[in-house]
Amino acid sequence: MRSKLNLILLFLFITTSAFCQMENLKWQKSDPSYEKPTKQVHRDYSFEADNPGELIAKSLANAYWFFISDVDGDNCPFRPSCSSFLLQSVKETNIFQASLMFFDRFTRDMNIAKGDEHYPKVSAGYFYDPPKNYTLNQGKIKYLPPAFIADDE
Amino acid sequence: MTSVNKIFFIVIFVWLSLARLFAQDSFADQFNLAKKLYDEQNYFDAITEFKRLLFFDDSEIYNYDTNRMIGLSYKNGGKFSDALRYFTIAEIQSSTPEENYNCRIEIIKINILRRTTHRALTMLDSLAADAKCSNKLDDINYWRGWTYIFSDDWEMASSSFSEIQPNHQLALLCDSMANDLYSAQLAKFLSIVPGAGQFYTGEYVSGLISIGWNVLWGYLTINAFMEDRVFDGLMVGTLLWWRFYSGNIQNAEEFALEKNLEKTNAALRYLQYISIEKKP
Amino acid sequence: MRYILTFYLLIPLSSLPQTTSFDFHLPENIKKFADHLFCEGDYLRAIEQYDLIKQILDNDTIEFKVMLGYSSLGFHQESNEIFKVVNDKSNFYADAYLLSLKNQLLIASKLINDSSIALFNSIQMKSFSKLTTISMLYDDEFNIPKEKFISPFDEEERNSVSSFYDYKVEPQYKSPTLAGIMSAIIPGSGKMYVGEWGDGITALLATSLFAFLAYDNFSADHTTRAWIFTGLGAFFYAGNIYGSVASAQIFNARIDFAFSNGLELFLQQQNYFLPEYDFCK
Repeated sequence: MRSKLNLILLFLFITTSAFCQMENLKWQKSDPSYEKPTKQVHRDYSFEADNPGELIAKSLANAYWFFISDVDGDNCPFRPSCSSFLLQSVKETNIFQASLMFFDRFTRDMNIAKGDEHYPKVSAGYFYDPPKNYTLNQGKIKYLPPAFIADDE
Repeated sequence: MTSVNKIFFIVIFVWLSLARLFAQDSFADQFNLAKKLYDEQNYFDAITEFKRLLFFDDSEIYNYDTNRMIGLSYKNGGKFSDALRYFTIAEIQSSTPEENYNCRIEIIKINILRRTTHRALTMLDSLAADAKCSNKLDDINYWRGWTYIFSDDWEMASSSFSEIQPNHQLALLCDSMANDLYSAQLAKFLSIVPGAGQFYTGEYVSGLISIGWNVLWGYLTINAFMEDRVFDGLMVGTLLWWRFYSGNIQNAEEFALEKNLEKTNAALRYLQYISIEKKP
Repeated sequence: MRYILTFYLLIPLSSLPQTTSFDFHLPENIKKFADHLFCEGDYLRAIEQYDLIKQILDNDTIEFKVMLGYSSLGFHQESNEIFKVVNDKSNFYADAYLLSLKNQLLIASKLINDSSIALFNSIQMKSFSKLTTISMLYDDEFNIPKEKFISPFDEEERNSVSSFYDYKVEPQYKSPTLAGIMSAIIPGSGKMYVGEWGDGITALLATSLFAFLAYDNFSADHTTRAWIFTGLGAFFYAGNIYGSVASAQIFNARIDFAFSNGLELFLQQQNYFLPEYDFCK
């Protein structure tokens, strides 16, 4: 009798929990905004850094952005841009490895024949080339096929 | 007739009438149940109940209304492609010009929300040309105005609303927007003088830095040419001066577009959440 | 007498207004509606309706259709939860078992199967062999002769299966160490070895240019400039070696991606080798 009761309770539990699951799967009312999507991300001019190397890199980058990059237009076909690439590389590794990564990125930037057959893209049309693919840690590489539209990170 | 007979027939009559009065129309009940779920904003379940009615309704009395309500439910859930499908079916099954018009307007509203405004304008034009909708011109112009708002053409939006009434609330709003926005073309044109475009859009710091660089590289380039150092002049001119000069033009345009976007979005937020006018 | 006659006439008459009465929530009607939703592809709604009648109309087909619905929607875990309660006497037990294998593959990229559980007919047996064989590609250990591996598959499937086998046994990786060494000897050659001709030539040109500028300035006694060019040249040179190693790693990641993506597409096209079910004739 007790085991029958347990079975019934178990059955009820399974069916009710399945039903609760169903409630989670059903879509709800949605109110899509009329606003147009904003694409521009504003520069982070802070001086936050975990170590001196990062601080040096960030200061150089801030000065570069303020005096040069913000006024000479859009010249980098990559996202993240070369200066952001340097900063993210310093965060991922250290300033020495990051400078090697930066010079490699600069060389690839100078390649006039770089094209759609090699890099994935972001929705705005730039080539997507994140530093985590270049840390020499095979496990961190996230390969995306050429011309695939990636989410901006 | 004896009084007993009379009483008897009265009882029969009352019984039959009552029976008719409390007649069970399950299909109407089902429709009302689904409509109640819709009114409670329980759209997923509302669609289920409407689909149930649709499946069992062989007489097809409820086809138009059910398909239309399913379309509205999908629309309120943000599922525009599904909504469009059901509105199109409802349009095919409409039996009066009024029903047909309502469906087409719903389809137009979805095209507005999806920003496929070209399609919306084409449909509005065909509605305006349709003789059966000659009494709906004000409504058609109203939605034409909204279509232009969503395609960023505030001037045309204003003129569409003005066709309804010269000082229509929305016409006034669109007018002030059109006057308030920067012209990206003008910003680019003014940038022929370095920094001028940026000053026009209110970015003074950027304008000053631009002027500084352009003056510096311009001076060095011209100086190099005057001293017959042609190669140096070319290098500085192309790699540095041109970079900052074209950058100044690009910047001015970007600032204009960015500020316009902020103002546009503020207006759209107002229209969506505060304005009491009919919305798509 | 006439009162009694009239009374008996009234019964059918008064039931006339009742003819538009229809019970939408009779189990049979719910089932018909659910079947219709299932055939329309509205699986979530169909599952919800089937859930309402599962206790009343205890039916193997319904149970299996719910499992199939969840799997089609991508809810493989939920689909397998259903399988746990499927009776092994059910008409669809073998099919449900096969479907649970597909779900396992999609959840965890591996199969735990006990082939003694289900009794398969010939079509199901074929599905089972294909699915269990192809799932070996997800294991780290892979020790099966090629002939045995491709034997369960049909002629038109063998080409693809064969190429997956070849990758698993011997992926065509490039060596990052070799790329680095090559670029140390001739800048850019490591990148060319990996197939990045444009980047390789650019690296070669950049390092050569700075080397030349350094040499030229040293020869002309412009020492400061010469040292600047030397420094930059050194960085470009070191960056080129680093970049060659990195690009070999990215090349290898591309090979892995082509394999896993290709395998996923192939399995989707073949519907995971499961039999076709036609509940909507």
